[in-house]
Amino acid sequence: MLQTLAALAPLPVGVLLLLASRVKLLGKNTPEVARRSALRKLVGDERVVGAYRAVGAGELVLGALLVLPPSSVVEAAVATAACAGLLGYLGYARLKAPDSSCGCLSEKVAPVRWRSFARAALMLVTAAVALGAPGYWLGAIADRPLATVGLLAGWFALASALSAELDGYWLVPLRRLRVRLSHPLGKFVPGIPLESTMDILYRSAEYRSAVGLIRSDVLEWWDEGTWRIVTFAARNGDEHGTAVFAVPLAGDGEIKAVLVPADEPVAA
Amino acid sequence: MNNPLDRRRFLTSAVLGSAGVVAGATALGSLAPEAVAAPMPKLDKNGIDPNFAEGRITAINGSMLMVTASDRSFHRIQLTKATSVWKLRPTTMDQAKVGDGLYARGVRMPDGVLAADALWLNIVNLEAHIVSMGTNVLHLDHNGNRLVGHVVPGTTAAVYNGTPAVRDLSMLQVGKHAQVIGAWRPDTNEVDIATVYAAAA
Repeated sequence: MLQTLAALAPLPVGVLLLLASRVKLLGKNTPEVARRSALRKLVGDERVVGAYRAVGAGELVLGALLVLPPSSVVEAAVATAACAGLLGYLGYARLKAPDSSCGCLSEKVAPVRWRSFARAALMLVTAAVALGAPGYWLGAIADRPLATVGLLAGWFALASALSAELDGYWLVPLRRLRVRLSHPLGKFVPGIPLESTMDILYRSAEYRSAVGLIRSDVLEWWDEGTWRIVTFAARNGDEHGTAVFAVPLAGDGEIKAVLVPADEPVAA
Repeated sequence: MNNPLDRRRFLTSAVLGSAGVVAGATALGSLAPEAVAAPMPKLDKNGIDPNFAEGRITAINGSMLMVTASDRSFHRIQLTKATSVWKLRPTTMDQAKVGDGLYARGVRMPDGVLAADALWLNIVNLEAHIVSMGTNVLHLDHNGNRLVGHVVPGTTAAVYNGTPAVRDLSMLQVGKHAQVIGAWRPDTNEVDIATVYAAAA
């Protein structure tokens, strides 16, 4: 079993490296993606696109070597070192450029979080296991097709679950489904929000004609029958007062407004 | 007129005109246009606006707030009965607590005190993505950082596609962009949501 595992190990690492290189070499917005990545901080603004493409070329070569025959311990050693380097890069990104995107597996913005580390660790462990590969992976699959294909499927499922870039394909639809089934925010709350009244009021001729006198934001509001009353502090020269507006709750119809002089000292 | 309910009744009858005896009340629509075009105070091009302050409340002394701004400058902010106070909703000045963040607009007095006309406590404006939802909770992603947005039943409103605000939040969608106006809970990654702006499908 261990022999099978070791023989199989180069395949998933190689495939993931090839997928990663595809983004860096054939992506539509490679310069933008490169500039969003933490590489920018590492190698500087002018060299970031070149460095990003170089990483992609390295991934392509290494991925192809791992996936294509023959199997060799040198490939596995280089892959292990590369995965350790990736972990180091992620650590650097987390510490020095926490807002940058990983730029690893897709053009989607995916900041470096624990899942990126877990995926890199998974690759590192798998590459290390590949050091003990007794032969080419195709032989292992031919020997025990069911077990190996199952193992590979499980590995890729785990790697996908650890890829924030792929969330849009499975996690978001899953959460949407849960929301559709459980309606966590679907509870009916009666009443008209103040925001709705303010929207009508701010656009009314009555408010705009008085806006030069109004000093404050909403002081108080309450409902009176079919009206919503909203008050503001107002000042006309040295005269203090309260601007009172009545807005129809239904949203249409006349808005009433009045300026009531202060009948008490304003100071608290 | 000290009873707030009496005062509300008085103001209601004043604006609805049912009493018709409000001494000295002016119908606002009839004000002269000059009053509207009141001269704006001239600001120095590179100067700071003296009539504005932001910061966090470090102490409260009666109706005076001691505030440390983000540039470490110190402000004293005087609240009056004519000061509007916002903290998730229009509220009263006793809701201001030490540690609250604030924006204040008013008039700078000769002694340096800002006599506040309007005060907004802990107000935040966030551009975020809805990551997930729970009962009365929106989990938000704000530039890669997680925020918890609390829905406050009876206060939280939603604006879909720029149409008038409604209480119905059921059209919000996981994975979509949302703008949130809310009140930060100081020193946490949680906000109470006042209004959420989103596109409805």
